[in-house]
Formats: sequence, C-alpha cells, structure tokens
Amino acid sequence: MISLLYVSNISRGLSAMLLKIKTDISEIDAICTKLEKFCKDNNISDDKSYDIVIITDEMATNVINYAYPDGKEHWFVIEITKDNNIVHICLEDDGIPFDPLQKVDPNLNESLEERPIGGLGIYLVRQLSNTVTYRRENGKNRLDIFIKIDGVENGD
Amino acid sequence: MEIKVEVKQNITILTPIGRIDTATAKAFEEGISQHLKEKIQLVISFEEINYISSAGLRVILMAGKKQMAGHGKLGLINMPDKIYTVFKMSGFDKIIKIYKDFDTACKLLQSETASF
Repeated sequence: MISLLYVSNISRGLSAMLLKIKTDISEIDAICTKLEKFCKDNNISDDKSYDIVIITDEMATNVINYAYPDGKEHWFVIEITKDNNIVHICLEDDGIPFDPLQKVDPNLNESLEERPIGGLGIYLVRQLSNTVTYRRENGKNRLDIFIKIDGVENGD
Repeated sequence: MEIKVEVKQNITILTPIGRIDTATAKAFEEGISQHLKEKIQLVISFEEINYISSAGLRVILMAGKKQMAGHGKLGLINMPDKIYTVFKMSGFDKIIKIYKDFDTACKLLQSETASF
C-alpha cells in the first residue's frame, strides 16, 4: 500500500486520504489500520469508525478477489474524504466491469440449512451506508459511498 | 490467529483473539474447524474480538451448518454491542444461538433437546 496523500484541516471539518492498494489480500489489515487512524484523527465515533472500516474492507476485498481474473498484480485506489458530517469513500479500479449494486440481497428469513454461504459483504455495505452509487467510465469501475456521521463535538 | 480453548461442563469454549477480517478468516476457519465434531457442544466467545467482517460471518455460518449436520450445538457468547449489531443485521440472530454469557448458554444449551 502506498499512501499518496493525507490532508487535514480539522478546524474546517475537512480531511482527505488517498491510498494506492496492491491486489493482495494482506493489504486489508493495513487499509483498516489507516482508516481507523483517519477516523480517530477526525473525532469520528467508534461506532461510525467500525462502519467506515467494514464498508471499505468489504469493497476492497471484492476488488482484490474478483476484479482481476488474470491473477497478476494490479493496483487500485481508495479515497476517503470527510467533509463536516459526511464521509465519502471512493474506490476505483480498472478491473473487469462489476456493478455490486446488481447483487440481490440475501433472504434473512431463510433457515440455517437454506442460507447460502457468502454474499453478505455487499449487503452490509448497503445497510451501513447512506448512499452507494456505481458507474463504469473510461474502463474503470467507480464506487462512491456516502456515510453520514454524527456531528463532531466542537461546540457548534 | 490465536484461539483459546477451554472445556467446561462438557462444553468446548473457543475464544478467538483479535480481528476477523478477510486476512484472518482462513486462520479462524482452520482454528474452529478442528473442533467441529459430531454431537459436540461448542461455544464461541467474542469477548476478545473487536472486529468481524462478512469473511468472519461466513465462517460462523459454515460452523453452524456443520454443527447442525453433526447433531451438535453451537452458541455464541459475550458479544460486544457493535458485533451483535452486525450479526443481527445479517439475520444471523435468527439462525445461530446468541447468549449473553457462558452461564446462560450452558443452561439453555443443555436444556434443549433439539440440536438447534
């Protein structure tokens, strides 16, 4: 993982971080650690920090596991921005076209026997975020995820 | 991934330590799998887990299915609030038994005649 950018202007409620990630599953822990620090630096609650980390973990895992069937090493980008009470996570990869939003939600009423193994990651992302959009442009998959966070306690 | 193993009142208690994400799920699965035997009563304690992603949920689901097939029992205990929220959101609270602590699990697991 290469950290390309980290800007922070806490008094204006604005921070941004740009990470370049190798398609290797061992990158996940490093991404999570970076995100946890980002949330801490920006006074984001532990509860929301968990949501931000799991959302990014799930989507990054997806890119690492499925975007590049050639098995070769590739790189993709994660950008996280906090602007007042909105956190925006953007993932961009030039792998095969894949719209995760087309995936059907799991049926939560199925029995233990019936429940298929897998397919929960994207469902959790949708549940824990406020808006998720996907688009394919210039040969890239782009996923934009918005999460509303509680007002940061700074006196206003 | 380190998993503490303890046997109390005929119930095997597994306490994994740390994070269960894509990077550690395989080790978690291997650690759990060796305890999934026929008719065994198994409890997994989450007291030392501070993070679980869908990769970890997948392992729990697999363990639940295996325990059911082998006429065993599975209970999850000592779950931090946030982790319980993730389980509930996934609908796992309806298909896997989640108890407050070991004592509750022990009482209820042993009083049930059905395996689930």
